[in-house]
Amino acid sequence: MDLTEPPGISVEGADFGYPGRPVLRDVDLRVPPGELTALVGLNGCGKSTLLRLVAGLLRPDRGRVLLGGDDLARLGRRAAARRVALLHQSAPAVPGMTVRQLVRQGRYAQRGPLGMLRDGEDAAVRRALADTGVASWADRPVDALSGGERQRVRLAMALAQDTRVLLLDEPTTYLDLRHQLEVLQTVVRLRAERGMTVVMVLHDLGHAARFAERVVALRDGRIVADGAPKEVVTPAFLAEVLDVAGRVGEDPHGGWPVCYPDHPLTAST
Amino acid sequence: MRARTTPVASLARRVRSRAARRLGALGALAVLVAVADLLAGRSLDPGAVLEVLRGGGDPTARHVVLHLRLPRLLVALGAGAALGLAGLVLQSALRNPLAGPEVTGVTPGAVLGAVTATGLGFAGWESPAAVCAAATVGGFTGAGLLWLLAGRDRGDPAGTAVHGVLVSAVLGGLTAMVLLVAPGELGSVVQWLVGSTEGRVWAHWHLLWPWLLVWAAAVWLLAGPLTLLRLGDEPAAAAGLATGRARALALLCAVALTAGAVSSVGALGFVGLLVPHLAVALFGADLRYALPGAALTGAVVVCGADALAQVLSRHLAGWLDADRLTLPVGALTTCLGAGLLLVVVRRAPDRTF
Repeated sequence: MDLTEPPGISVEGADFGYPGRPVLRDVDLRVPPGELTALVGLNGCGKSTLLRLVAGLLRPDRGRVLLGGDDLARLGRRAAARRVALLHQSAPAVPGMTVRQLVRQGRYAQRGPLGMLRDGEDAAVRRALADTGVASWADRPVDALSGGERQRVRLAMALAQDTRVLLLDEPTTYLDLRHQLEVLQTVVRLRAERGMTVVMVLHDLGHAARFAERVVALRDGRIVADGAPKEVVTPAFLAEVLDVAGRVGEDPHGGWPVCYPDHPLTAST
Repeated sequence: MRARTTPVASLARRVRSRAARRLGALGALAVLVAVADLLAGRSLDPGAVLEVLRGGGDPTARHVVLHLRLPRLLVALGAGAALGLAGLVLQSALRNPLAGPEVTGVTPGAVLGAVTATGLGFAGWESPAAVCAAATVGGFTGAGLLWLLAGRDRGDPAGTAVHGVLVSAVLGGLTAMVLLVAPGELGSVVQWLVGSTEGRVWAHWHLLWPWLLVWAAAVWLLAGPLTLLRLGDEPAAAAGLATGRARALALLCAVALTAGAVSSVGALGFVGLLVPHLAVALFGADLRYALPGAALTGAVVVCGADALAQVLSRHLAGWLDADRLTLPVGALTTCLGAGLLLVVVRRAPDRTF
């Protein structure tokens, strides 16, 4: 286990947009080292785009993104991928690959194009397979797995990158409740074990309120709420961020906020 | 937990691995079809061929085997390997199971180059170097056109496929125009269009093998990036791959390999499109194994088809009482390939690969 502090994330005055369609406007976000942050907001509010900026897959039009003090714009693709891993919401099918082969692809950033030609898997792959509980079916084809199993394999591939910053874009989409909880608990556990800074986009406010230490809400490309779940998740928050009228209670055992959504407030645009 | 493996242990494991066994089996099959190809020709019976191989035989037989059949066989193996590799590289780099040199403008471009050079008299059939250069230029022109036309859709399989068909159609039309303007030696020109190993001599082989060796090595060094590209652009980029640069390099290799094959045997249909599917089915999507697999599979397929075409020619000539009838190997690969493509499409209708 690495006892050094993982890098924090800071996004400073970032604008991003496509021609004629601004997506993010003047976003400032600071994620302290080791924190678990949830990004929430309506479809198209820019949360996935913000995640891609932090992963270095997109460059801000203005402003900058720093990982532990290093400007991402100054890092090459491989150097960036050694610091930050991103689990995509959905990935295309990959026929002809076993779980182990797919997870091994996460080593590209560390090994490089020629290093990938060498045979033998390294400790990071074994650890990623074990940490996500997929080691026992490492030699099965990825295509033969269920959706929940596949998501764990893709998480293993991201973990094999051995980064201290992990980003997850809606990691629970398409999964049933049991597998949603499984994935989120794995992330929470590994964040503590490996000492990672984690940011995840979540659609389910209940999950965000329960698992994250901090909730950041976007609306129309701007950050509109930022704080501990207990402080920010309120009926006003439901209305302003998600366009939903509802009530907010408290989980009788854990104490985290629980939302009771009622009805949508306005027609979505 | 397994201890860190020594290179020797790692090598031993590799030799034992399933992929290695299959590569070995394919290699043995390649030797088998090569021998069959050597024996299949019409003018000599197998006994005479074996006689020559043992170092004997009369001068005519020696000439036929050592200066006609042997280079033809090697060219068939080499061209098959080049097309198999080019197809797998294209399908991986473009993430498109229906990509192949035939439908991405590469083969039609190379044919246009070769036909223009031959038809307009820049180069004769007997001067392979000039034809080879023209085919290479043509292949790059075809691929370049696709690159420009596809524009932002380069990562999108459907968009690329549509533009590829478009570019191929235009280049095919231009080839037809060249043929109308300069019919010239129509017989030899038809060999470019259909694909044939007839009349390939050592000069062709001496041009083909260094080219093939260089680009095949380059392709294998790209196995890591290509495997990642098969996962999709965003996942590949997130894993640390500069996808644009990797794709450009891969396409360069694919075009060079295709041009080499086309300039030596013409436009062999469906080999580059279908061999990759066989290779991935046999070796999986880890291209460190699938690339050598595709090269061997391509060699086996083209060489086997060549042997089969010669046997069929002999029988057809007997039935039709047409002495000089020869079935070009390209006609055979196209017919067999079309059938196989139907199987591929029916079996996996909703898959990206």
